[in-house]
Amino acid sequence: MKKILLFILLISQIIIGQTIDYSTEDYYYIRRTKHLKIAMDKEKISIENDVLEQTKFNSSNKLFYANENIYTDSFTEITDIEAFTIIPSTHKKMKVDHFETKDQVGGSVFYSDSKVINFVFPAVTKGAETILTYKEHINEPHFSSTFAFGSGVPIQESVYSVEVDNTIELGFSTFNFDGFDINFEKKENRKTTIYTWKANDVKEFEQSSNSLSMLKYLPHVIIYIKSYEVKNKKYPIYNHLDDLYAWNASLNKQIEKSDLSEVYQIAEDLTKNALTEGEKTKAIFNWVQKNINYVAFEYGMGGLIPRDAAKVCNKRYGDCKDMANLLYEMLNHVGIDAHHTWIGSRNKPYSHAEIPTGKVYDHMITAAFINGNIVFLDATDNYVPYGMPSAFIQGKEGMVGISDTEYKIVTVPEQVKEKNTTFIKTTITLDEDILKASQKRTMRGYEMVDFVYDVKFAKDDKTDEQYLSTKLAIGNNKTKYTNIDLGDLTAHDASYSISYDIEINNYIKKFGSKIFLNLNLEKPLSKDIIKIDTQIYGKEINHKYIRNYETTFEIPDGYTLKSIPKDISNQQEDYGYSFTFTKKENQLIANKQIYLNTLAMQNDEFEAYNNFIKSLIKAYKKSIVLEKI
Amino acid sequence: MKKIILITLLLVSISGFSQYHTTYDWSNTPIIHEITSDESKESSIAILKKEIVEFSQSKITNDLAVFETTHNIIRVNDEAGIARHTQIYIPMNRVNKIVSLKARTINKDGKVIDLDENNIKQIENVDEYGDFQIFAIEGAEIDSEIEVLYTLKKDYSPFGSETLQTDYTIQRAEMVFITNNLLGQIKTYNTDQEFERTYLDNMLVEELVISNILPVATEDYAATDANKIYAAYQCFGNPDLTQDDLWSNTVGNVASNFFPEKTSKIVIEEIKNNIMKDEPIDISDYKKAALIDNYVKSNYNVVENNNPQLEEIEFILQNRTASNYGILKAYAHFLKAFDIEYEIVVTSNRYTHRFDPEFYNPSALREFLIYLPVLKQYISPDRLDYRLSEAPANILGNYGVFIKKDMDYYFAKVSQNDPEFSRVQRVMDISFTDDFDKVIVDESQEYTGHWSILYRALMTYYTGQDKADVEDQLTGSGIEDKHTTKFEVENPEMNQTEYNLPYIVNSTIESSALIEEAGDSYIFKLGTIIGVQSELYQEKERANPIEMQYPNQYNYTITVDIPEGYTLEGLESLEIHKELVVDGKKLCYWKSDYTLKDNLLIITIEEAYKVNDFPKEEYEGFRNVINAASDFNKAALLFMAE
Repeated sequence: MKKILLFILLISQIIIGQTIDYSTEDYYYIRRTKHLKIAMDKEKISIENDVLEQTKFNSSNKLFYANENIYTDSFTEITDIEAFTIIPSTHKKMKVDHFETKDQVGGSVFYSDSKVINFVFPAVTKGAETILTYKEHINEPHFSSTFAFGSGVPIQESVYSVEVDNTIELGFSTFNFDGFDINFEKKENRKTTIYTWKANDVKEFEQSSNSLSMLKYLPHVIIYIKSYEVKNKKYPIYNHLDDLYAWNASLNKQIEKSDLSEVYQIAEDLTKNALTEGEKTKAIFNWVQKNINYVAFEYGMGGLIPRDAAKVCNKRYGDCKDMANLLYEMLNHVGIDAHHTWIGSRNKPYSHAEIPTGKVYDHMITAAFINGNIVFLDATDNYVPYGMPSAFIQGKEGMVGISDTEYKIVTVPEQVKEKNTTFIKTTITLDEDILKASQKRTMRGYEMVDFVYDVKFAKDDKTDEQYLSTKLAIGNNKTKYTNIDLGDLTAHDASYSISYDIEINNYIKKFGSKIFLNLNLEKPLSKDIIKIDTQIYGKEINHKYIRNYETTFEIPDGYTLKSIPKDISNQQEDYGYSFTFTKKENQLIANKQIYLNTLAMQNDEFEAYNNFIKSLIKAYKKSIVLEKI
Repeated sequence: MKKIILITLLLVSISGFSQYHTTYDWSNTPIIHEITSDESKESSIAILKKEIVEFSQSKITNDLAVFETTHNIIRVNDEAGIARHTQIYIPMNRVNKIVSLKARTINKDGKVIDLDENNIKQIENVDEYGDFQIFAIEGAEIDSEIEVLYTLKKDYSPFGSETLQTDYTIQRAEMVFITNNLLGQIKTYNTDQEFERTYLDNMLVEELVISNILPVATEDYAATDANKIYAAYQCFGNPDLTQDDLWSNTVGNVASNFFPEKTSKIVIEEIKNNIMKDEPIDISDYKKAALIDNYVKSNYNVVENNNPQLEEIEFILQNRTASNYGILKAYAHFLKAFDIEYEIVVTSNRYTHRFDPEFYNPSALREFLIYLPVLKQYISPDRLDYRLSEAPANILGNYGVFIKKDMDYYFAKVSQNDPEFSRVQRVMDISFTDDFDKVIVDESQEYTGHWSILYRALMTYYTGQDKADVEDQLTGSGIEDKHTTKFEVENPEMNQTEYNLPYIVNSTIESSALIEEAGDSYIFKLGTIIGVQSELYQEKERANPIEMQYPNQYNYTITVDIPEGYTLEGLESLEIHKELVVDGKKLCYWKSDYTLKDNLLIITIEEAYKVNDFPKEEYEGFRNVINAASDFNKAALLFMAE
């Protein structure tokens, strides 16, 4: 199980009955079909896909699509590949004669058994068609199959058929079919049953950033085997959730266990002064979080079975399941009731009820039961404070393994906005035409996690000044930063603060005897208007938050405050702001609060959100006016 | 044979010697090294980065081989440092034997954890990079030192290079170059230090030791990678081989590959049936060359894989698929058929290497262009975005070797023929809705040169959100609530046959964010409409020479319709004059002025960069001009009711 298993490049949109003008497409699929055959071969299940893909180059703009890949790993064998181009001028076939296999590297996985078979269709040009056929053999019946009816380019006809022996009971779930022209047919023969889904004219599914999981939009089917019969005896695979747990538990039974005495010793040392279960758990969690480096080896069953806790501890690295298992061993040793927990990230929009299969998961954490509460522990997140789950599993269902046969389905709570805060305290003075300010930012929860990650992993060789000027964008790009204190980045505390002074040369506007000053040195969310035409798949928000700005402006000698903006607020359930201005002797105190209180926005909510942002921009537009006495 | 041009050499046999790498080892009693407090603030630093390159000849077979030893000691100070240095990839390109490979972690309390050899994995054929041995460092904690030492025996190649500067501090970099009496030489770049002859283990070696190498400064307008310290070397047995011989050899190879005697029949057919099908016979050379480039880019695919046929002309013409080296052969046949004189240019990406005619280093020779001397234009065979025009921005200004048909060659700078090739012209008409609620900007823009090449390609190849982002750039970036009511382009097709045809954008946008309210007055942030402009800082002394992408020029005319009943203040912020003059030549300038005519405010801007590289001593003057645009971007006008 990988930290993030799935990296799909495709997502969805579709309006029913929408026809596609193929003549304006540079490249598209004429046909994309897959025939899945599940049969009993003696006493074993044989799973084989027949794949056919036919494409068309309608212009010469995107000939690079001729470069094609077939993905495979140790559970999938590819055979019988045939690929050729049909030359438009002669209608002759031209075969691909060079295929090469490449190991896959990159992403969050260091070493895996993923490979790609790469080849190039020859002589593609405007009007060319390509045809690819191959067989895909899957050698583990617990791996369910997915077929997506959409892709990165439009598809005229997409057909998925599943032929299954009648001694095998099939389960399937369909997702996101609404709004698509997809027909279903089931045909029962004497020995087999054939299920067929046929889709016409499926528009392209193109990635856009900050979107919800594309699997929430892409029409797809997931097929799994419920049970099979051998000699009149029925064997379950995924007949019930219990079977999924049995499979999960069977994987964990295969965890290698060598001498754990060093692991136990560390756990004991860490907790010797801890008084409560919470303190013990925190000490162990923070140790694993800090000392075990995320390195993922995912090959064969090593992608599913956690590794020996002693080895993980000794090598000081592992993937999510390795860290979860180490936590499990350490915590239980010191008397904490902790359990392995299989879970999906927010990329996996499935519930256990929808598909009782391993497709629900791409992650593993540890759940500790402390005083009747569950504490979710995900040490793959280097900076998440103890007590909070990692942001990317908020709201997700996990399967907590209790014993060999018992489990619990629990939901990781979405973390409330009050836990994730930034407080920005600013004092502004004017020195002739120069604006000077001192600022302190204090962050908590995911606001802290995001900032610390960024400083640690994205700052690179930038100087502190360069880094802050691009990260914070205070005032304008002429802002100078001095006296920067980036705080203590090593502590795993509940909060984190940074401070600095700034100077901006041409920020205030002087016209005649008047000075115009906009106190909104930062305008969070002002660039967040959603482009409705291209943001097609909802909007994902990493976490809920509140940002509080308290700005004190010292009115310069010889000037009087002529005009201040009116207090304004717009507070809704999912988002809001408020601005207040208070004059105190020679100071003006501006308070601003902005919050986001949702993790996901659907497309039909965009317009209201854009109106909110526009009203926020209006609020940002208001300057104060000073006049010379 | 990939991009690198290999050359064949006659090698004189000499007897072998003892080998230095066999006695070189790490310390049996490793210690944690001292670091300064500044160094401890970095995520990681290298205590040692050492490379030994040793050429050797077998006494028995006389075969030549090269042994390369790498020895690194890295201090990791935090989790980012650990993440950066614990995943090790060792390239197996040309390696025929791993002589030794070991790694260990020394923790701050002195505990040593050795790498378990069983955890070393092999990965094969990774994209264009070949095979690797990979492993993860075991037992690394904060404040540990990670030590890796390995020696690889590689197939003999007379050439090589090593980069000695990286993106973290190196306390001590060492390189040892051993030829074992074979003739060879080594040259350093981007440092004043040179190799010194010395004896190690009684062997004559060339050694370089550099202390405290800081990461290359990340600066705007800089070719950071090309400025890294590196060494390039050659080692061969033939004492008569000069740099001229090496270049001649390359030229010979190029000439035999890229200047065919006869044109292939396939090419003649393609010209007859496709390229010239609808064209009159007497078209200009420019149009012929443009038609060739358009045709090849619309019908041939340039790909990278291990298929050797991608460099065979028959296969290339049949399959219309080639490597980026092979595609030159296809071009050669088309140019030959049209009887257009051409030269092959072998050069480097100026952001990674500065071409050095004085020292033959094939690993730096990875870019190929076709130069048409009659037209003074280039074809960039493996660049989908470029069509017949000037050389691409990443090569412009670098030197290259220009190879002619008769095997004659010369070194020259890849320069731009038309100094005004790249221009941006904008005419903007600005008006306001009642009550200053919104600004309306009507704009017509003409992009030529590298600008038009860029935008044509982006708008053709991008789709969805990426394309929308380009449209955003084309209508003024950084306007928070911009609403585009009109967006039309002219001349968007990639395949053009007219010289430097402009890419034209006509647009209308509306924005409310451009106006701020202050009491009963309105502040119009006029400067914002020219889009976000880069601001150059100078916290430290400029480290890198200044490199712009290409010479270019902007001309704007902005007309503001002043609403009746309002007066304007703040006009003086529109007048900015900055220039950099070196040796009497105005290299770059910004000039913005305004005139008031009835109710119209007319602003004109001229900004120009006449060259693409500036000496770093002129940084202050250059910065002034660049920042003038950023100053103008902050310009604001106050509208007050009369």
